[in-house]
Amino acid sequence: MTDSQQTAAAQDAQMVVEKDRNRAALRKTFYGRILRSVIVGFWVMVIAFSLMRLSPGDPVRLALGADVTEEAVDAFRTQLGLDKPFYIQFWDYFTGIFRGDLGYSYFSGRDVTEIIGTHLPVTLMIIGLSILFAALISLPLALFVATSKSNTVNYMFRALTSVSLAIPGFFLALLGLLVFGVYFNIAPAAGYEGAFPGNLKYLWLPALANCGSLVPVLSRVLHSSLVDTLDEEFVETGVIRGVRKGRFYWSYLLRPSLAPTVVLLSYMVGVMIGGTVIMETIFSLPGIGRELITAVDGRDYPVVQSIAMIFGLIVVFFSFIGDLTGYLLDRRVTLS
Amino acid sequence: MSSNVETQEKPKKRFIKEGTFGIYTGFFMLGSLIVAGAIIPRISKYGADDLAAIPLAPPSRANFFGTDVLGRDVFVRVFDAVFIDLGTAIIGVSIPLIVGTIIGTLLGISQSKRINAVVGSLIDGINAFPFLIFVIALIAFIGPGVGSIVLAISLVNWARYARIARTRAVVVNKQGYIEAARTLGYSKKRILFKHIIPNVSSETRAYALSDFIIVIIAVAALSFLGLGIKPPQAEWGGMIRDGKDLLTVGFWWPTVFPGLALCWAGIAVAFISEGLTRRMREVGTR
Repeated sequence: MTDSQQTAAAQDAQMVVEKDRNRAALRKTFYGRILRSVIVGFWVMVIAFSLMRLSPGDPVRLALGADVTEEAVDAFRTQLGLDKPFYIQFWDYFTGIFRGDLGYSYFSGRDVTEIIGTHLPVTLMIIGLSILFAALISLPLALFVATSKSNTVNYMFRALTSVSLAIPGFFLALLGLLVFGVYFNIAPAAGYEGAFPGNLKYLWLPALANCGSLVPVLSRVLHSSLVDTLDEEFVETGVIRGVRKGRFYWSYLLRPSLAPTVVLLSYMVGVMIGGTVIMETIFSLPGIGRELITAVDGRDYPVVQSIAMIFGLIVVFFSFIGDLTGYLLDRRVTLS
Repeated sequence: MSSNVETQEKPKKRFIKEGTFGIYTGFFMLGSLIVAGAIIPRISKYGADDLAAIPLAPPSRANFFGTDVLGRDVFVRVFDAVFIDLGTAIIGVSIPLIVGTIIGTLLGISQSKRINAVVGSLIDGINAFPFLIFVIALIAFIGPGVGSIVLAISLVNWARYARIARTRAVVVNKQGYIEAARTLGYSKKRILFKHIIPNVSSETRAYALSDFIIVIIAVAALSFLGLGIKPPQAEWGGMIRDGKDLLTVGFWWPTVFPGLALCWAGIAVAFISEGLTRRMREVGTR
């Protein structure tokens, strides 16, 4: 074997080892993330369960009102299983989650799982639309500002994003209602229709108002990673090689810059959920947020507890997905 | 690309420090709001709960912002709400800031792996809940009102500060000056309060400023949802709630003016926060 052959073989071996190491690291990251998510998810369930114990009064008595007999209170408590010891209650609740049994509403007697199943899709759709709108606004905006050499543009971008962060979503929604609902009359103030393309008519304004809190954050992070990417040598290579515009923007600029934005987006799902609750109340949309507010008003504790838990688990799930996607988009981030 | 490089290399002549404009604008906006909140309800002809004119009178010279559905003067009520809104937000930021910084720092410097794992994952668990959802759920159990808003926000938000403080404390704890203080034989308490916490809290205090915007919006949002400060106390979120059904029939002033006041307060703090960040970054790069 000659020297060059030897080095080539060594390089091959090296590459195989690297590939294996990469794969092992990927697996390790993956399992580590899953474990972490499971632990956090467990805490979410524990916290949601302990909410009921935070109440200063007796939740059952509060729920039933002042003028009920002792027997009625006791009967209700037995019916709900609240007379059992703490740890048995927790076990029932914990195993119930996996059986899809989240208890029953104090008032309507409806299955909480069923309530969530009916109303969650609307909420998820508003969140999905908000993220879509936010991406459609943030991507071109960040790309424009990052590639612009004007100081004024950069300054205006910074000032406007920091100002728009301070504008509450519900005020934005009401202004939107005033402009599009009353003045232009192209958005309904209330009402809802179930089917997919038809319901967009009711959802676009809430989603647009909701993405008001997302756009400044997303575009800022994307902008700063784009600025970092622009300093990289491969961007100059792309310019010199005369890569086509579309390919240049996507492969040379956006793809290497997207990872932090995607991770952040998954963390922002929690903020989006909070905003959606308000939007559903304003526009009277039959989402899970409006159910939450109704349940809070009526002291319907099992519903409040389960909705809080579901939202917590959704956030845990999305941060897991976000971390993983961010990692797959740009492996430099977590491998180093 | 070449022109870009040239502009970067040109030495910047600056007589005003970076971020100064933002800081001054922010403080001016916040100060004027506080002054107006202190003066206007006192010198005004009408009290915040008085019948000032016919209900839903449009903005005029007698009632600058018009009147609401009960004939109360919106101008007076907007400024009457300044202290309750700002005050609730300030307390709602301060308590978690203090509690979270201390717990996070203790966690960061503690040697016990078990405590770190348990409390650390508890913090992650609390942070997993959407902020507003968790606060709403807590209020469902402890009841509405100013006190419960502050309590609920504190119970949720300390974990965010604790996470920041913990990460920072781990770094600070390894610094040379902490080692030096230990070698000098200073007491643990003195090292913690005089050396570690001041260095950790610079980070959490910076976060507190941007958190203030989130909290003041959350306080108004809770009242807007009917879970916060009880009427007839004038409060921006509650006023927006009272006016929102009239918005679609053309009475915009009971809603828009309190909303603008809320934005004004938020933007003021955003300017201060942005200015301070820029100034800190400039100090860092020098």
